[in-house]
Amino acid sequence: MRDVETRPRKYEWAIILAVFFASLPLILGFSLLILSSFSTDMVTNLDLKSLHFTIENWINVFQGRLAITGGIRTNILRITLNTFIVALGVAGIVTLVSTMAGYSLSRIDFRGRKHLMVLLLLLHAFPGVALIVGVYLLYRLTFPQSPEMVRFYSFFYVVLARGALEIPMSVWLMKGFFDTVPWEFEWSGIIDGASRIKVWWKIMLPLVKPGILAVALFAFLAGWQDIIYVRTFLIDQTLATFIEANIEAEYSHMPLIAAAGTLYLVPTIIFFITAQQLLLQGYSGGIKG
Amino acid sequence: MKAEVIWLVALLFLGVAASGCIGGTGTETQAPSTEVQLTGDFTKDVIEIGKVLEANGINEVKFSAWGSGDPNSVMRVYGIVEAARRINRIWEENGINVRIVITETHYVASFQDAYKDYLSKQPLGQAGDFFVNSYAFLPTLAEEGYILDITDYAYAYKGLIDDFYPSLIEASKYKGRLYGLPQDTEARPLYVRKDVAEKIGLDVNSLPEKVKNGEFTWSDVYYWAKKAKESGAAEWGLIHRKGSAHPDLIQFIFAFGGKLYDEETGKLVVDVPAVYKWLYVEWKFAQDGLLPKDIMSWDWAKQIHPTIVEGRTLFDIGGTWYWTEWQTKQYYHGRGLKPEEVKDWFAYTLFPAGEKGLKPVTLSQPFVWMINSKAGQQNPKYDELKDVYHKLAFLILVKASDPDINAIHSVISAHLPVRKEAAKLIKDEKWLNNLKNLNLDLDQEVKENIKDIVKATVNPINAQFLADVSYMLEYTHFAPAHPKYPALADIFKEAVDKVLRGEMTPKEAVDYIIQKVQADPELAQNVEIVGEIPENWTFP
Repeated sequence: MRDVETRPRKYEWAIILAVFFASLPLILGFSLLILSSFSTDMVTNLDLKSLHFTIENWINVFQGRLAITGGIRTNILRITLNTFIVALGVAGIVTLVSTMAGYSLSRIDFRGRKHLMVLLLLLHAFPGVALIVGVYLLYRLTFPQSPEMVRFYSFFYVVLARGALEIPMSVWLMKGFFDTVPWEFEWSGIIDGASRIKVWWKIMLPLVKPGILAVALFAFLAGWQDIIYVRTFLIDQTLATFIEANIEAEYSHMPLIAAAGTLYLVPTIIFFITAQQLLLQGYSGGIKG
Repeated sequence: MKAEVIWLVALLFLGVAASGCIGGTGTETQAPSTEVQLTGDFTKDVIEIGKVLEANGINEVKFSAWGSGDPNSVMRVYGIVEAARRINRIWEENGINVRIVITETHYVASFQDAYKDYLSKQPLGQAGDFFVNSYAFLPTLAEEGYILDITDYAYAYKGLIDDFYPSLIEASKYKGRLYGLPQDTEARPLYVRKDVAEKIGLDVNSLPEKVKNGEFTWSDVYYWAKKAKESGAAEWGLIHRKGSAHPDLIQFIFAFGGKLYDEETGKLVVDVPAVYKWLYVEWKFAQDGLLPKDIMSWDWAKQIHPTIVEGRTLFDIGGTWYWTEWQTKQYYHGRGLKPEEVKDWFAYTLFPAGEKGLKPVTLSQPFVWMINSKAGQQNPKYDELKDVYHKLAFLILVKASDPDINAIHSVISAHLPVRKEAAKLIKDEKWLNNLKNLNLDLDQEVKENIKDIVKATVNPINAQFLADVSYMLEYTHFAPAHPKYPALADIFKEAVDKVLRGEMTPKEAVDYIIQKVQADPELAQNVEIVGEIPENWTFP
């Protein structure tokens, strides 16, 4: 059975073509980036004459070298690991908080619930950059005195600070998912003697899996691509700050930066490909009850 | 009465004996010293500091070094690594069980980014103990208290300070106090393609001398550029750099006798006559097709450098580091130039005087080694031994300024040496040969990390080039180390772009600059507008 029955089939190709042309700049941009990473020169236009195939850029990236000659070697695997720690940390904290908060807002009537929901929307409207001064002040106030703890704390803080920016929208998303679950599922659990927490864990969470995945994925990407919080608070580098710090056009060997950029794209692409189906379920906003 | 006197004398003896005992035990439990006086005798000072550290139970001192810039300038951090090794060796030879460990060598290409990073991390104690960056940032860092005032330490090392070029020491000062030691500098020559010059009859051999004497001015540059273009010898007459961060173009202001900074008021200056003449020259070159109208948006690797190395221009305003950059990067039909090719193809002079009666110029942006005002804080007993750690950090800088370390940096990165002793060394063929074979007393890690740069850059031709351009430092100017200068430079960049593209006449562009300055309250407060647009001035 087709999901959309009202659309006449004869326009299908027109729509596909329109979508293709609309996304052409993106496709071209990413294609040129990937091609450049395998070339001695940047491939910046459709004339492929400047493409001279080499894998030297990738070798250099994995060796953590920033230039053809010279430069201090950077541990790129460590940088990639740092990026994963931040991204997974953000995904973890956001998913945990938003599944709990989303459930509460969806199911429990408490004083100030509506105000809280409005406040969450308002919080989402605040850009991270605008909050950075306050967040920086908080960082200074909570900063550990022991130098050994600083490195660890900077990860902890970035994860919390970046996660806090993602939580308002994620809570709303999760609330939407919980709203779609019929009350009867929950009632039956409660009548059987389960606690609210048990109902949430055993009954509700399995029913909103696509939502959880969507929230976790978006939070992961937010952590993966964050630059300003990572740059301000984290002692170690992530892929984003590594690329940014070395992109000064005059000095850098740009094809090498293109290779680092392509490496940076890989997890995003993998996630989207593997989670595509679940995500689409999530966006269609439903469960099959 | 007699008995009382006897009692008193007895008490006195007892008191003396008791105080003697107290003194005796005091000597045994005396706390180790936490102070060191620098004497100027490097070995003696290092040993003294080592002893104090050892007596306080410190056997390992941790420091980190942050640097930035082009990939060949890694000695900016490895100089610190090497200095630490040399100090460790002194301690070892003298039986002192202390060693310095450089825990982190953080190096990024963008020096502006490194500065921003330092600004945000220093208050949290996460910034490097050593920080090498442009002198332009030094006043702000000093004002904020983020870097160490080393004036008093430097008194003991007057001999070393006197060996630096005085203008560079001045650039390392803020409000009369010394906040760092110069690490490198550069000049920005006017490069001339010999093959193109030959085709049009321009004698490049006598050119540097003529420029030095002020006989060859920008009117002559225009004349020959036009000849090169019109005769078909070159596609362009002149190519220059782009962007506001690169202060090459403000050389025009100095070449036309103008200034950018008023020492007395501490304000930036828009010197209207000089700025007008600069913009007029740019406008004239671009309108006559001698300089690309859109050069401010050209790509470095695909347009600017290939145009120069492929001989499609007669003149180019660049930096000394171009000399080796053309050898290490593949700008010439997919390959780098050989040293012989660079030598055979390019002549170089100072930036010519704007007009007769004025002097030629060049411009430098020295990099300075600065010490974090919290240097050493990751070590034990920091509060008690702060002064010792700071003095040790200073001594590391002293060692990192050794002539050979400075000379290695100069040769492999095509920057100019900051010390006269280092300048002598790069002319020493034997030493150069040893560097080429890495047959020098250097840390193994340092050797490993510079070997491919050494291979690509160390040869007599490059060393000779550096020796040849060193005289330019006598003509050097600096971009103002003023916090609002970047904003003013951005406005200059916009104005240059507009006159090059023909969107504004030079007069309109000057008015544009003035309006933009006045529209920004902070800039208006910090910038003086001086002079009038000269009537009846002609170029060429």
